[in-house]
Amino acid sequence: MKSIIINRYFLKKLGFTIAVSSILFNISTAQITEKRTTTIQLSFYKKANISKTIVGTVKAKNEEGKFLPAINAKVNFYLVNNNAQTFLKAAYTNKAGKANIILPENLPLDTGHCFTIAAKIENDKVFEDAVEELRYKEANLELKLAPYDTSRIAKAVLKTIGKNGEVIPVQDVEIKFYVKRLFGFMPAAEDYTLATDENGEASFTYPKDIMGDTAGILTVVARIDDNELFGNMEYQAVTAWGTVLLKEKEPFPRALWEPYAPLPLIITIAVLFGGVWFTYLIIFYSLYKIKKEKSDEQIEFEAIIKQ
Amino acid sequence: MINEKYDLKKEIEIVREDCLRPTRRWGRSTQIWIGCLLIMIGWGIYCYIHQLRQGLGVTAMRNYVSWGLYISTFVFFIGISHSGTLVSAILRITKQEWRRPITRSAELLTFVSLLFGGIMPIIDLGRPDRLVNLVIFGRVQSPLMWDIISICTYFVGSSVFLFLPMIPDIALCRDRLTVCETRFDKFRKWLYTKMAIGWKGTKTQWHLLEKSMTIMTIIIIPVAVSVHTVVSYIFAMTLRPGWDSTVFGPYFVAGALYSGSAGVILGMAAFRKLYHLEKYITKRHFDLMGRIVLALTLIYAYLNLNEYWIPAYKMATSEGHLLEDLFYGSYSKLFWTLQFGTVLLPILILSIPKGRTVLMISITCIIIVIGAWVKRYVIVVPTLLHPFMPIQEVPKDWSTYFPNWVEFSITGACLAGIFLVITLFSKLFPMMAIWEVEEGLLIEHDRQLAIDIRLKREASERVINIEKLNGEKVSTEVEPIKPTVITS
Repeated sequence: MKSIIINRYFLKKLGFTIAVSSILFNISTAQITEKRTTTIQLSFYKKANISKTIVGTVKAKNEEGKFLPAINAKVNFYLVNNNAQTFLKAAYTNKAGKANIILPENLPLDTGHCFTIAAKIENDKVFEDAVEELRYKEANLELKLAPYDTSRIAKAVLKTIGKNGEVIPVQDVEIKFYVKRLFGFMPAAEDYTLATDENGEASFTYPKDIMGDTAGILTVVARIDDNELFGNMEYQAVTAWGTVLLKEKEPFPRALWEPYAPLPLIITIAVLFGGVWFTYLIIFYSLYKIKKEKSDEQIEFEAIIKQ
Repeated sequence: MINEKYDLKKEIEIVREDCLRPTRRWGRSTQIWIGCLLIMIGWGIYCYIHQLRQGLGVTAMRNYVSWGLYISTFVFFIGISHSGTLVSAILRITKQEWRRPITRSAELLTFVSLLFGGIMPIIDLGRPDRLVNLVIFGRVQSPLMWDIISICTYFVGSSVFLFLPMIPDIALCRDRLTVCETRFDKFRKWLYTKMAIGWKGTKTQWHLLEKSMTIMTIIIIPVAVSVHTVVSYIFAMTLRPGWDSTVFGPYFVAGALYSGSAGVILGMAAFRKLYHLEKYITKRHFDLMGRIVLALTLIYAYLNLNEYWIPAYKMATSEGHLLEDLFYGSYSKLFWTLQFGTVLLPILILSIPKGRTVLMISITCIIIVIGAWVKRYVIVVPTLLHPFMPIQEVPKDWSTYFPNWVEFSITGACLAGIFLVITLFSKLFPMMAIWEVEEGLLIEHDRQLAIDIRLKREASERVINIEKLNGEKVSTEVEPIKPTVITS
């Protein structure tokens, strides 16, 4: 991943100059000296022609000189084309110091069929100004499956645009093959990385014993991670290559260590505490009867009235 | 012999007056006391809000010691709550007449210590808003779940157990409060009327009350025992050195009864002095309670010996490290001071009659109560600092623990809360069960009367025998025993 720190040296020099000037001219430099040195790192994520996301990770130096995630920093994103900058969107960093935006679908490309994104921190009260630029080539990753083929071969195809605008395959790019699971991606095999050939293709044979859902369906994933030219790319496809998950009749037998408690325990607790609470109910009923009890005078009075 | 001038009605009236007098006076000292308590509680609430906003990181607790002062205090308060059960229920069930003036304060101590004891684990939670999840998704297998169930059950039971014998006294307060000039008096009248639940003292009401009290007296004892047993299970059912013990249940129950009884004695001494109840809470009460505490201390000492001696004989790896730390390590001073102060010293003092005077027993009980609190701390904290997997690669302060100002402030506020509830209660309701004391007077009166008549009969029989021996004419007229009509 590229990381460019621009203007830091310049800003330090500027800060020093201003500090010296302020001493000379008795001007307060508190605001400038208090600003924190900041860095930005940019990453690009392309998800199977669905979305293109650019993520800026901002870090700032603390008092001890350590770079920590900068929270709530405003990051302005620009599209750079022929030295002209077009403002795209601004985003604030989260607790992890990350700010991201989704790029427009039809991003204008330069002559090399690339796009350049610049992320800037500008005129922030807390953080020093910082800039990071990133240039990626437009490419397309596709995962082709043969659903009725029992061989379970997934063919990942990576193509880009050539000098003359034609679509050309990309060779020698590492593609990783995964299976999607509930909390992330599971490598499909021990050796799950393949490089594309001269046709831009990488064919991976998925093992037969991967567990699917109750219909044997699973999601297979092809990914390119941190490529210098193309960034991060991902393609997901759903197929019935998994083994069928059979529902157990009683997946969790009643036990102390399982979600369902043993019946004798439930019965014991219910009987013991149920008995106590039933006794309380008797007491509450007695209290109710005490409340409703008439005095001797009232009883006598009512008897006289009846007579 | 019964004094002929003895007037039972007058005596009963004196009892009522003595018991109701504190409820009519809210002196300057009371107001200052309540003000101080409110300041402490206010500060505690501020600290708790600070803890809620910033998280448990503001306390001294870290990953290893996640149960610190809060949980130690919880166990201590639950232990103190056993006082009401012991003094009131057990003495009631065994028909100990001397219990009458002290049952109310014992039952009150149970109620308040449970109220605030129940709050302590909630304070210990970083996210108390998730407490409801424990009820919704709670596992019946978990001792924590049993704890919630048993503490709730005990709290309801002890509230009812406190309330039932109060009904006739509240009705008396209601009937005596005839002039309501101030708004506070009107509030009191309203409160008494609501809480007396229409008590008129009819035969049926007395019958229902006595029946309910008998049932509650029987049921509350096993419930109380279950509560502290279950509290001990939270520790004993966890695989940790020092907690993995089979005697933890009875050990906790014995410790609770012993510290609870000491708490009752302190309550007795305080109310006796503050509300001038020396006539009712006598030196004999302290002597008898001292004997009970002595017996409980011996039981506690026996279990205490078992708790430490058996693992100390084996010195198994992890258990050994903990015991080394307790016996001659960083906790040794605290541990041996506790053993001396809360086990040996009470036995030595309470064994001799001079040790059971009001002053001596009060000092001993203060030591016992403070010691019981520290003892809970020694049970909880050193074990957490000696896990099976050694503490390593963590910041240095994670491997030690001492409560910080936030924890002390919040715990202090809870203690102040206990004192506040007791103070307000004693200023609204009589601190002795008036009707029970009156009943005691009547029983004593009848007993004295019966002795008097028996002595007269024996005297007259002796005269007859002497006359018989002298061959004189025998008078057969013997004064019959008249049944005493008890009117309240």
